[in-house]
Amino acid sequence: MTTARVAPAPIARPRERRIGTRLFFLVAAIYFILPLVAVLIFTFAGRWTANILPDSYTLDWWKQAIGNPELVGSFSTSIVLATGTAILDILFVVPAAYWARVRNRRLRPIIELGAAIPFCLPYIVIAFGILQLSGIVVPGLQGTFLLLMLGHTAIAFPFVYWAVDAAMSAAGVERLSEAAEACGATPFQIVRRVIVPNITPGLVTGSILAFATSFGEFAMAQVVGRGLRTVPIWSAEALRSYISAPGTFNQLAVITFITFALLFVLSAIIVYWNRNQTLRLLPGAAAVAETERG
Amino acid sequence: MATTAPAEAGTVTAPARPRRASAQGWISRWLPALPLLVVIGGLLLAPALLLVVQSFVGTNGLTLDLWTRVLSSELNQQAILTSVVLGVACATIATIVGAPMAWLISRMFAKSRAGWLALLNVAANFGGIGLAFAYIAVLGTQGMITLGLQGLGIGFVPPRPSSFIGLLAAYSYTNIPLFVLLTIPAMGILRSEWWEAAQTASATRWQFWRMIGIPVLSPFIAGGWLLIFTWSIGIYGIAYGLAGGGGAAAISLITLQIGNILGTDVFGAGRAAVLAVLLMAMATASLIVYRWLLRRALRWL
Repeated sequence: MTTARVAPAPIARPRERRIGTRLFFLVAAIYFILPLVAVLIFTFAGRWTANILPDSYTLDWWKQAIGNPELVGSFSTSIVLATGTAILDILFVVPAAYWARVRNRRLRPIIELGAAIPFCLPYIVIAFGILQLSGIVVPGLQGTFLLLMLGHTAIAFPFVYWAVDAAMSAAGVERLSEAAEACGATPFQIVRRVIVPNITPGLVTGSILAFATSFGEFAMAQVVGRGLRTVPIWSAEALRSYISAPGTFNQLAVITFITFALLFVLSAIIVYWNRNQTLRLLPGAAAVAETERG
Repeated sequence: MATTAPAEAGTVTAPARPRRASAQGWISRWLPALPLLVVIGGLLLAPALLLVVQSFVGTNGLTLDLWTRVLSSELNQQAILTSVVLGVACATIATIVGAPMAWLISRMFAKSRAGWLALLNVAANFGGIGLAFAYIAVLGTQGMITLGLQGLGIGFVPPRPSSFIGLLAAYSYTNIPLFVLLTIPAMGILRSEWWEAAQTASATRWQFWRMIGIPVLSPFIAGGWLLIFTWSIGIYGIAYGLAGGGGAAAISLITLQIGNILGTDVFGAGRAAVLAVLLMAMATASLIVYRWLLRRALRWL
């Protein structure tokens, strides 16, 4: 056996050698980055008539945006709404996910089914359903901040559930829980002292996803939260009036850019907390795998 | 590459407790999950079921009246057709661009892979009204590219934001990254050993892809296509920002029709319910096919 074994070539040739691949990624990078750059430039643009860059620059739009009570109001509404949504989701999901793992296996398919609803149904459909149902059951709640927050909690819960459940699986909560139980801890103590500290990445990821979902959500804010002004609602109005009130258009650039920056920071936090993340397949794959195993 | 599944299989689960008929036993099994179950039931399940019921109820009992009225309206037919065509176009573009992109990114070195994932993650989450604004900032009549090209003396007329092409370009901005992020993990399934084995059997690269690579990955890619299709027909925010209230010239979509009826027509709830149930039916059908695809896909794990 003296024939030298040739190391097999990798499935993909090293991409550096392929000019086509580089071009593909260059175009993709421009496509993804350009809108963000354009929004940023719009926040500083003075007169802008005939070139790829503005004729002059100004800080006026930032000053106007920060001094615009409607805009600032909608921003704080959205922050409170999104924070409340994230907190409610964690409070609802963590005990349920824990219980589904350690006490009651029958909970799992029910939660998975519930998670499939906002996953596949358009938000405007869910929002419309909530509008109709609340009109019959709790007319007093219609158009309130509370109902909108509950609606956001409902549509964001799958993201929180999947993140928390994956973290619970990785932490092996069943064994942790048994050990704690053997030491005489109550279920409440177990969750607070043992489970929560061990699923921090899931909690961080889940609550950020819930926050982001709520912060950018438009359909439900329009349909359920009639009259409430969140950032997307304010933005939609400003977008429609961009011919009649061009100044608002540049303020819209400011708030869009701030939203984007917020999103970017949140994404970075998620990436940081999940840097040791194991392979995660298409959403719902874990559940299907589980039912397959019986 | 470990999935979450083996970890679960390895753990010792608490043995199922014997059923107790007492109320206390019931409480101890369900109580901690009750708030979430109430949210699921009251804010997701019940509203959806209510819409189904409302779409079949007329002034005198159960009827198909609303359905025939909605489906015979030319505007609604147009909206349904446009939504489906737009969904198919979006999903197909996302697949054609996204699948090779996911493959190439999955084979990158860790550092550039992380960079691309971060960029795609941001783009995938940058949707709704903000994206509609960004579109206008780039390709509107006063947009950056429009002005830039015109400044160079090129007579560039950008697609109107409310046109089919305009919506397609805007939707793709979030759809392509979503597709890539959804399918990247699946790319890890294609094991290097299989390529080595194929080479040992003196297969060409093309043969490897045709006989092994694509068949193994296709359920995941089809699943990604289906999800993008389902999400695209349900998008409301971007469409509203770009085409909402644009008058007769604006494109009509199912979601825009629903929003329009809700915003302007006090007695239109029944008709909006029909359109909503139509979307629900399409989404449910997609989800069933999607689960079936996943089951096939997971054979290779």
